[in-house]
Amino acid sequence: MKTTNAAATLASVVFLKIQEYARRPVQEQTRLRAQLEAVLAVTLADLPPENRIVLDTADGTAVAILADPEEALRLAERALPAITAGLPLCIGINHGTVQMASGRENGMIGDGIAVAASVAEFASPSRVLISRSFRDALSDITPGVEGAFSPAGTFTDGGLRTHELFFPDRQAAGRRRRRLIALGAAAVIGLVGAGITVRASTGGHQKIFDATMAKLGLSAKERQIYLRGLREKLKF
Amino acid sequence: MAKKKPAQLGRYKIIGELGRGAMGVVYKGEDPALDRTVALKTIILSEDAAGRSEYHARFFQEAKAAGRLSHPQIITVYDFGEEGEVAYMAMEFLKGTELRTRMKEGTISVPEAVHIAEQVAEGLGYAHEHGVVHRDIKPSNIMLLQHDQVKIMDFGIARMRASDHTKTSTGLVLGTPKYMSPEQVAGSPVDHRSDIFSLGVVLYEMLTHTKLFSGEDTPQIFHNVVNFQPPAPSRVNPEVPPMLDFVVERALKKDPAVRYQDAFELASDLHSALAELVVREAAASEKKGRQIDTTKTMKLDAEALKTALPIPAAGAIGSDTRLPVSRTFDCSDAIGRLTDPGLRDRASLTRAPRPVGFLRSMARDPGRRLLFVAVVAAALVGGAIALV
Repeated sequence: MKTTNAAATLASVVFLKIQEYARRPVQEQTRLRAQLEAVLAVTLADLPPENRIVLDTADGTAVAILADPEEALRLAERALPAITAGLPLCIGINHGTVQMASGRENGMIGDGIAVAASVAEFASPSRVLISRSFRDALSDITPGVEGAFSPAGTFTDGGLRTHELFFPDRQAAGRRRRRLIALGAAAVIGLVGAGITVRASTGGHQKIFDATMAKLGLSAKERQIYLRGLREKLKF
Repeated sequence: MAKKKPAQLGRYKIIGELGRGAMGVVYKGEDPALDRTVALKTIILSEDAAGRSEYHARFFQEAKAAGRLSHPQIITVYDFGEEGEVAYMAMEFLKGTELRTRMKEGTISVPEAVHIAEQVAEGLGYAHEHGVVHRDIKPSNIMLLQHDQVKIMDFGIARMRASDHTKTSTGLVLGTPKYMSPEQVAGSPVDHRSDIFSLGVVLYEMLTHTKLFSGEDTPQIFHNVVNFQPPAPSRVNPEVPPMLDFVVERALKKDPAVRYQDAFELASDLHSALAELVVREAAASEKKGRQIDTTKTMKLDAEALKTALPIPAAGAIGSDTRLPVSRTFDCSDAIGRLTDPGLRDRASLTRAPRPVGFLRSMARDPGRRLLFVAVVAAALVGGAIALV
């Protein structure tokens, strides 16, 4: 097999696999293929033709995206609702090397495609699975976006190759936000508390208390009354 | 193999020789009792006792198996017997052309190919129902008769399905390499789905006018049978409708579990494809008829047609996993970017993702930026409390 002289390039590959395709009767296979082509025609409409290469696979289609990896994710998310129309699509996305092959007819090869096919093997029709390399490619473009994906697990394919996979999780972004807020609050409390502790340990707590009360303009008698009240409250 | 033509076999008078196979000679004979012409398939029984009993058993087993089958698409076995060192089987004498000959001529149209395959599938379905697996479906075992009728010949290595779970008793894997199924090549248990694969190969070759699994030697052919994923027939011959791609693809599945499970199912799909083809042909001929009325007579350039013929399907060892570019969507612009990239593409398409550093993270990730600001502010306040 000959390949073109161009260096291997990196692309995001969306692998759309029709579930249990080989086991279906030919009439149904024909219908599902036609349906998949219709879905692709709609989902690819927003993508400039110079940014995508559509490939035929034995049980579906693969689309190599030569643009922002987010386009690949958007394409997958737009294709996913086709499940409700009776097209059981298993979608896997990977970011890896691809290369045009020349020979009997045009074709594309590359690890990017092979891994995307493996990822799609593990996907169920209700959710998109992405590889770690695709997640890294996304976070390279938009740092922090990796927080929008949850781990789906580690899977081993037929070639005994292990893949760490993730899935887009709408609640993951909210959880990350809450986690950052909690972390921020803890840091603020800790740092301010540390400042107070240092101050107390160097000057004595009575001195700090007196200085604070003085700043508030309370007399010695008023301070005694305030302290008594405070103790009563604590007892209660 | 017989060196001299016998004058008679049992009650049959030998008229001439029809051909020679792997196990014996096929003669043209005459049955004087019924005054009919028959084909007599013979096998020389081995000299040594063990070999003789094995050959004897196999020959009579296949004769009995074939004799049970009575179907328009299967050659009829009339009788079988033994004459000295020769065992023979008297069969229907067919006047027709072997499919192999027609394929060499390259004159089989797509509808005709589908019609032939459909009839073979019907015959195989019947044989499988009766527990007989052919095991050697290939163009030379398919005879084309008058009125487009097809007959499957030579259940020569057919074995009783129930009594055969592995290789033949001699340890040989029987069959014709180019038409054997992957499980046959591997010496795994073979069932009726193996015949479906072989018929798939024959159909592919009829549709594309190419050899599907070729190779310099048998191991290379075997390698291709097990590993090579052929391109869809419509990619090799644009006249093939897409539905036939699906049918051929399913018949040629390497894994028998996802292949057609029943030859009748294959026949049914071929029937549907044929119906589609007939409609298409009718529409095309109508269009052509209209064109002829308004255009001049054309002379077809035979040389130009030859160059347009597809090149062989399996030229090299095919552990080829490339995916073909879709013909439905125009991808020429994007392919151009890959094959002939500009400076900008060369830089952007080969750039690997980088780990996100602290500064980029602060600049692009609002969540982390906010956390950083809060921590710095808290540290300043804490420091002020401690020191001021």
